[in-house]
Amino acid sequence: MSFNIFEAFKYRRKKTFIHSLDPRTKLALAIGVSALSIIFTELIILLIIFISLIPLLIIAKSIKEWTGTVKGLTLLIVFILFVNIVFNGLSFAVSMVLRIFSLITAFSLFFLTVHPDELSQALIQMKVPFSFAFAMSMAIRYVPTIAREAQTIREAQMSRGLELEKGGFTQKIKNFIPIIIPLIVSSIRRAVSIAESLESRGFGAYSNRTYLLPLKMKKRDYIVLITLLAAIIISVIIKFVVGLPPLLLLSIPF
Amino acid sequence: MLEVINVSYTYPSGDTALKNVSLKISDGELVAIMGPNGAGKSTLVKHFNGLLKPSKGKVLVDGVNTTNMTVAELSRKVGFVFQNADHQLFAETVEKEIEFTLKNLGLHENLEELKVKALEDFDLIKYRDKSPFSLSGGERKRVALASVLCANPKTIILDEPTAGQDLVQKNNLLELIRRFHSEGKTVVIVSHDVEFIVDINPRIITLVNGEILCDGDVQDVLANKMILEYSSLTPAQITEFAWRICEELKPLPNNIITVDQLIEALKTHIIGGSL
Repeated sequence: MSFNIFEAFKYRRKKTFIHSLDPRTKLALAIGVSALSIIFTELIILLIIFISLIPLLIIAKSIKEWTGTVKGLTLLIVFILFVNIVFNGLSFAVSMVLRIFSLITAFSLFFLTVHPDELSQALIQMKVPFSFAFAMSMAIRYVPTIAREAQTIREAQMSRGLELEKGGFTQKIKNFIPIIIPLIVSSIRRAVSIAESLESRGFGAYSNRTYLLPLKMKKRDYIVLITLLAAIIISVIIKFVVGLPPLLLLSIPF
Repeated sequence: MLEVINVSYTYPSGDTALKNVSLKISDGELVAIMGPNGAGKSTLVKHFNGLLKPSKGKVLVDGVNTTNMTVAELSRKVGFVFQNADHQLFAETVEKEIEFTLKNLGLHENLEELKVKALEDFDLIKYRDKSPFSLSGGERKRVALASVLCANPKTIILDEPTAGQDLVQKNNLLELIRRFHSEGKTVVIVSHDVEFIVDINPRIITLVNGEILCDGDVQDVLANKMILEYSSLTPAQITEFAWRICEELKPLPNNIITVDQLIEALKTHIIGGSL
């Protein structure tokens, strides 16, 4: 088990068109693409959704990070493929893999290109209370830290002879207890000390905060949003009103 | 015996932590690995119990290459105690914490005997039924030590053992390390704590930027201004004091490291000489 998948969701500072978009636009994009890939189960359409995301990755110069994410999730993808082949057949299984690929791509694109501070700023401007927005960006900020800690704990327990791969299915799950418990305990301890240090720095002293850099939607944001909205509306009309043309219903014939 | 032969190690992220390091630690030796943060100290010692495998070169534990051995196999010979006790403790009681290691390492036959010995060695008998989380910091450190050393490994690795420990606890550690050494065990300590290391009086290896800067005894290394500076180590207070006196009173030797030496030097060079 590797904890590197979290690394691949971490924000990287780059100068690209995607990075320059408003975080709210990117959030809408991630949610919109996810919604589309959940509405449809047809192989061809899911393939189109997935393929249309690849240029975005290229524009965001994030192909390498994305590959890392996918590699880290190989086990999950193989599991989804296998279970679906057994219960629903190959065609559906491939569709489901394409769906999970689209979901992963949409959200890794979001987290790779949105700084946690930008995210919390976006949430605040969407009228989410400051403490919730702050908690959200803290949660994202601490993912790599906790992943690193999990790695240390794993090494410490391996040094006491813990073998994660040993035993049957239930034993394998039990093997994780010596890692999970110290991880939870130390996370709680850390949370308490973060809370104390926040308070000692005057967190929550004033209910009305001002912000250094309020977010502003630009022309490019509106273009992306309108394109997204058009894609969703057209898809929904085709799916529920007009009906899908037979070409798009093609599937793997076994 | 631990042998490191031309070992280089590069993390998956691309950072090279060790560059062509070679060293040999004989049975029963007492060794401190010192150096600045990020010098590769932890990376080096993680090779001793197979947590890391060299990217280049090889590591031999008792003549056996670690590449084809699991951490669990190596843990019987090499006990590795991590810096933070809270990264190890998870069981309901102190006793179960120790049993976990013994069972993992397949020491079922004399489990009871080894467990009681570990509880006694680390003065934990009275806490055996308590939850490790209910104990104080120093006590938790002892449980962590006991939970690794109960398997009676021939080699003991202590990563930053004095971090966050008070004087009493440091003295306990000092005593423990001396005891392991007198029992003939190999002890490897990773530390920045110059005063603590002076008291232990080990062979010292300093690492800087993934390379060995020097390898010598306490006197050679910790009283050498240049080595201390390159290794980002603070001189022991007594050394610093002696240096300052040296600046004022030329005849004092410049390699003083213990209180006794300073007193001796003061006697012969100052009091004996001028009075």
